[in-house]
Amino acid sequence: MTQKDAAAFLPLHNNWFHILLSLAGAEQHGYGIMQEVLDRTNGTVRLWPATLYGSLKRLIGDGLIEESDERPVAELDDARRRYYRLTRLGRAVLELECARMQEMVRMVRRKRRQEAW
Amino acid sequence: MNPRVSLCLSLYRRLANAYPHEFRILHGEDLERLGEDAVPEAWRRYGVFGLLRLLADIALRLPGEYLTEIRQDVVYARRVLAKAPGFTAVAVLSLGVGIGMCCAVLSECQAIVGPAPGLRDPATLATFIWTQVSYPYFERYRNERQTVAAAAAVLGPVPFAVAFTGDQSARAERVSGHLVSPEYFTTLGVTPAAGRVFGPETEKPGMAPVVVVSDRFWRTHLGADQHAVGRTLRLNGSMSTIVGIGPKDFLGVWPQSPADLFVPVTCCVSLAPELSGDPLHRSDREIFRVVFRLAHGVTMPAAEAGLDAMTRNIDQETGTRHDRDRKGRVVRLMPAGTVGYATPEQHALVDTFNVVLWALVLSLVCANLAGLLLARGSQRRREIAIRLSVGASRARLVRQFLTESVLLSFAGGLAGIVLAYWITNVLSSLPLPSQIPLEFNCQIDLHVIAITLAIALAAGIGFGLAPALSSTRTDIGVTLKEGAQAPLRGYRRFGLRNLFVVGQMAASLMLLLVTWFVALAFLSTTRMDTGAEVANLNLVSFDPVRDGYSAERVAALVTNLPDEIARVDGVRAVALTGSAVSSHGDATHVSAPAGDGKAGQVLISAYRERIGANYFATLGVPLLGGREFDLRDREQDAPGSKGVPARPAILNQTAARTLFGAGDPIGRRIREGERNYTVVGLARNMRAGFLVTKPVATVFLPLAAEWLGKSAAQRVTVLVRATAGRDTMAAVRDRMASLHPDLTAFDVHTMQEDLDRMNSLTQWTSAMYVILGFFALLLASIGLGGVTAYAVVRRRKEIGIRMALGARAGQVQGLVLREGMALVVVGSVLGVSGAFALARVFSAYSDVLARTFGQRDSNPLLIVGAPLVLAALAMLACYLPARRATKIDPVSALREE
Repeated sequence: MTQKDAAAFLPLHNNWFHILLSLAGAEQHGYGIMQEVLDRTNGTVRLWPATLYGSLKRLIGDGLIEESDERPVAELDDARRRYYRLTRLGRAVLELECARMQEMVRMVRRKRRQEAW
Repeated sequence: MNPRVSLCLSLYRRLANAYPHEFRILHGEDLERLGEDAVPEAWRRYGVFGLLRLLADIALRLPGEYLTEIRQDVVYARRVLAKAPGFTAVAVLSLGVGIGMCCAVLSECQAIVGPAPGLRDPATLATFIWTQVSYPYFERYRNERQTVAAAAAVLGPVPFAVAFTGDQSARAERVSGHLVSPEYFTTLGVTPAAGRVFGPETEKPGMAPVVVVSDRFWRTHLGADQHAVGRTLRLNGSMSTIVGIGPKDFLGVWPQSPADLFVPVTCCVSLAPELSGDPLHRSDREIFRVVFRLAHGVTMPAAEAGLDAMTRNIDQETGTRHDRDRKGRVVRLMPAGTVGYATPEQHALVDTFNVVLWALVLSLVCANLAGLLLARGSQRRREIAIRLSVGASRARLVRQFLTESVLLSFAGGLAGIVLAYWITNVLSSLPLPSQIPLEFNCQIDLHVIAITLAIALAAGIGFGLAPALSSTRTDIGVTLKEGAQAPLRGYRRFGLRNLFVVGQMAASLMLLLVTWFVALAFLSTTRMDTGAEVANLNLVSFDPVRDGYSAERVAALVTNLPDEIARVDGVRAVALTGSAVSSHGDATHVSAPAGDGKAGQVLISAYRERIGANYFATLGVPLLGGREFDLRDREQDAPGSKGVPARPAILNQTAARTLFGAGDPIGRRIREGERNYTVVGLARNMRAGFLVTKPVATVFLPLAAEWLGKSAAQRVTVLVRATAGRDTMAAVRDRMASLHPDLTAFDVHTMQEDLDRMNSLTQWTSAMYVILGFFALLLASIGLGGVTAYAVVRRRKEIGIRMALGARAGQVQGLVLREGMALVVVGSVLGVSGAFALARVFSAYSDVLARTFGQRDSNPLLIVGAPLVLAALAMLACYLPARRATKIDPVSALREE
């Protein structure tokens, strides 16, 4: 996958961004992603189960995330859960999206300075 | 656990389980596990709202997931079909042609028996079958209020010479119209787009002439003038005021013979020469057609019974003699409000013949498609097995197959609609064999398109389902181990596929024979056989009555016209006639004293043709005996009385034979209408007209000036035999223009054009049937070829073993061909007998078909030839896979064991 392909996903859908961001640090299962997004956004963004799995399916289909074969220690594991992690493409897309957002924030700040809101 | 939470969780699980199979394989367990955490959490955080929100989320996403899969199916199906272009092309083409033909036939039916535009509630309109009535009769019907709510009388179509008053120099143009009783528009329920329509209060004898024009006339002739109401037009030389403009698309009660001008019957005779002789007060002038609006709740049979009783009463009261058969009904009703004046016979033709043909074509197409899909399914066993083994559900595979067949159907349906558009366009643009303006406006309406697409879809689903189910019922292990081939299985003589093929062969042959019977009969019975020397024969028409000529001037013109034209350089012969070729439009009764010493009269019905002097000589058809009319006959053109010698008449062979048997007709007396005639000539039978299978009795009477202006006579046509290689007609027109500047020459054409126009429709119709027959043939061959190829694929191993044991290529080929042959023979026998049975059923329904099918005995070639052609094609279709069977390598075939 080239850099150009990653750019084709921008701007990233809000749900996708949150899912990718949740997986940036570590592998997660579905409920873990849901909880992390909820905590991170102070409860403003909630990914309901079907919405979450609809997005996960598409992210897998587009090659941004993949299922992880590493499992936690046996006493913490639930065989029915699946764990997901970012692919290289997914990480590249997330980086690009972050850069795009930072650029936008910079633009807003510059504008504020110039026109003294 | 809180009961709400547990209820929500159970609903959640059910919904999660309803997700598509593939989604569940990937995320099903995970989604369920997530629910166990998320449901109690949603309850804790948001209460009942949270539970509802969660359930709504999973329920609303469900159809989306299915749609995504269907989209994938469509994309995959498109790819699969694109990879097999031969199969796709054959399937789409056969579906397209089948559906296109059906769509065109349906539209054709609609163009005749569909409801006429612009009429309110056309289903409650009725008219008499064939019977025209006199105006006093109509008035009695109209005033009867129990069975009919309203009634209107129509006379037409009649031509009007229209000149625009603003433009003095312009020549008059002939426009078709109706002479109508004042109740016409209110009976039909027609509201004008502008101005008013007629009414009994406004339209009274002696009022200023008025006319209602059609929307079409308003657009084409009046430039869509917003102030057209109140303008005046010169109609047949009289000024008339436009009082109203009809609604859009309204072209009279039978738009197939459209009317653009509507003039009340109360107008003066100069405006409508058809009304000369006071037909409004005479019971013997039966020239009006009546349209009834049936009273609320009155059925057609009840109305017919009521009107029948009433007609008998009026007959008795007035003492009018009618040649009516008093045993049955004296009048019969049929629905009006249809596009054409369609008799029950035509309805039967449309309802039975075309619909049966249509069903036959569609079932053939569907059977063929099913056969193709079945054969294809068997080739895709390996693909199916692989998909099943990697987790695809059977339902998913069935859906995939259905998607492919529905996609094919839609492509076929679209191709069909394009084809139907083309066919109907050609049909609509064909000139119709008639002197009165006829329009065959064949358009595909939305209903027909909707029906067609629904049929295509049903065909796709119905005939895709069986192959899909059968293809997916496969043992993965065996199929994957054995490769693409099926397990060894014996030949099943009465297998479903063989029955399919036999049925298809039989249906194709039936279709082929029935369509070709019709086509051949059409061609043989409608080919014009006038016997005339067509080359250099020209026609030009005049209508002095509508050009405003007085009776004396008309008489002078009819007398002098032939001589005036004969003097033009290049003209070899001239004759006047009522119609160019026998139009069979004017039926009458002719009687003669019975011959062979018997008492009484012989009465026959015959067609009446009006001809001038030298008619047969100009046509180039010598008389069989006696003489033609000549100038002397014109001079005797006074009303017959006892002192004056009887007028001359010429009979054709059929009329002479029916009246006088084998005796010589020359010099014998006949009576036609109120007058006596002496037979002076015998003409040979000329077959002409549309769908006329045998010569009809015809009496030729001298063309008289007084006869012009009667409703049936709307023109006098001049036959001009010209010298080859010269533009004689231009000279004739110049001469006419200089001698009679106020006379409009119209419809100038050659005899050849006339005949071509007559023949084009039948030829085209026949061609359609022939193509339909060929198409059936092609479909049957494709179907047979497909099934044979399928059989060869399935029996690959058996053939391999046979060849390994020493069978020669010829023997293997023979084996495959023999089985195909058995199917062909059984199918042919069933098909031929079916075609005869079908022909018999149709003949019972329709007289026209009975006549056409009656000719089939003269076509032994067809009865023997069609099955032979079909069999030959079918054998070719079997031969190709048979040859492929011989190429099977026994070693590789056996290695697969």
